[in-house]
Amino acid sequence: MLRKLLFLSVMMLAAVRPALAADLADPKAEFKAFRDYFTSRFPKVPLDDFVNGPYSMDEGLRKQWQEIEEFPPYEFAVDKGKEMFAKPFANGKTYADCFPNGGIGIRQNYPYFDTKSGQVITLELALNQCREQNGEKPFSYTKDDMAALTAYMAFTSRGKRFDIKIPDDPRALAAYRKGEEYFYTRRGQLNFSCASCHVQSAGNHIRTEVLAPALGIMAAMPIYRSEWSGMGTTSRRFTSCNSQVRATPLPPQDELYRDVEYFLTYMGNGLPVSGPGARP
Amino acid sequence: MISTSAGIAIVALLALATAVSAAPSAGEKLAFDRGKGNCLTCHEIKGGDSPGNLGPPLADMKARFPNRADLVAIISDETKRNPRTVMPPFARNHILTDREIDAIVDFLYTR
Amino acid sequence: MHLPSSVARMTAATSGIWRPRMSVLRALSGLLLISVLAAVAMAAPADDFKAAYAKAEAASKQSAALKTQWTTTVATLKAAKAAADAGKFDEAVTLAKEAEVLAEASIAQGRDEQGAWKDRVIR
Repeated sequence: MLRKLLFLSVMMLAAVRPALAADLADPKAEFKAFRDYFTSRFPKVPLDDFVNGPYSMDEGLRKQWQEIEEFPPYEFAVDKGKEMFAKPFANGKTYADCFPNGGIGIRQNYPYFDTKSGQVITLELALNQCREQNGEKPFSYTKDDMAALTAYMAFTSRGKRFDIKIPDDPRALAAYRKGEEYFYTRRGQLNFSCASCHVQSAGNHIRTEVLAPALGIMAAMPIYRSEWSGMGTTSRRFTSCNSQVRATPLPPQDELYRDVEYFLTYMGNGLPVSGPGARP
Repeated sequence: MISTSAGIAIVALLALATAVSAAPSAGEKLAFDRGKGNCLTCHEIKGGDSPGNLGPPLADMKARFPNRADLVAIISDETKRNPRTVMPPFARNHILTDREIDAIVDFLYTR
Repeated sequence: MHLPSSVARMTAATSGIWRPRMSVLRALSGLLLISVLAAVAMAAPADDFKAAYAKAEAASKQSAALKTQWTTTVATLKAAKAAADAGKFDEAVTLAKEAEVLAEASIAQGRDEQGAWKDRVIR
């Protein structure tokens, strides 16, 4: 009798076991779940508005964003970027020669998974590859010249909908998963994951700073941050976020950072390019 | 002309007055220090400016946490009680010493 | 202290040069003994620091290789070295040991976090 009971209870437990951690959905399903999470949590925010980050979180903040857009602090960077983009390299070639459509209106396709080299290519990486292929020195990834170029390229792409693809290649899926893992993993002495702030605490504020929702968080890059009194790229933001939770940052454009950008931008598919952006 | 004893009394009263409206306690200093407790980043606490709201306001602490050990545990490692918490584990990750946590708890019990 | 006869003969032989009195010679050799002992004693904390720092640095490097290093570990190691360079060996050893504790805690964090992300993915 006891053995029968034992057998029955084991079978019942097996039937009602909680979903195993290994049960991850495919990226398409995860994309939908991610978007639904934020739209149901912030029902008053129009979908496209999520790209304005903290400024999307309430009416007062949205008004602030509109005011900033009248005299945008990133304007100087766009102008500088336009000049830089047009100037030929020493060998006579230009940036336009390296990119589809001459590099105009293409921001929404980055980053992409390059099956040839088996890695995620971000816009910044592609720009430096273009420079090096044409005998020029690469730029630092975090600010200044690089941020000016990407500010201009984002500006020419404003309004275009992000369209990040995951090709049918196990390495592409692996890159997505690595980025996803990084996003949800706690790090630093302060024990925060990216999700701690940008999923769980989205819309709340640390001191006076409202935390942006992760949905569409890449759409406004590069950004002018008042805190930096200047422009910064995705690399600048990733490295500074790491330091802020007391985690030693990875090198800018490290493969793992590019995987994170790949995952996050994919999650924002369908949302419009809003860069370059302004943030507190 | 005041007498010596009156003078002494006045000085004593002044000293007491200064002590009462005095410099913040060790616990308050630790709680508000960005490099230590940094509590205001996430919590509203009376006496602190520009608080965040990732966590609940820290008020009525004596009523809410009659058992001191519970409050110490939360600050030391809240992931034990709530694995999804965004509260840093101040003891487990050696952000604060046990003595510092005790001082902060003393301070919180005045809020 | 009884001086060897050779020293006594040397002092007697040096005429015209300042010939230190016995008491002075005794004092000088005492001082020499103390300095030697002190030098031996001072070498120990410096060695203690070297050992503590080596351990902490190894743990810090391991945490960096695992990509779980904390900025505070690096800063504490740096402070330990600065204290040692300033001759403050007790402080330096304390800081080095603290850095090791931080490095180990960051490695433990990485270990605990392995696989934990899967439960957190938005579904």
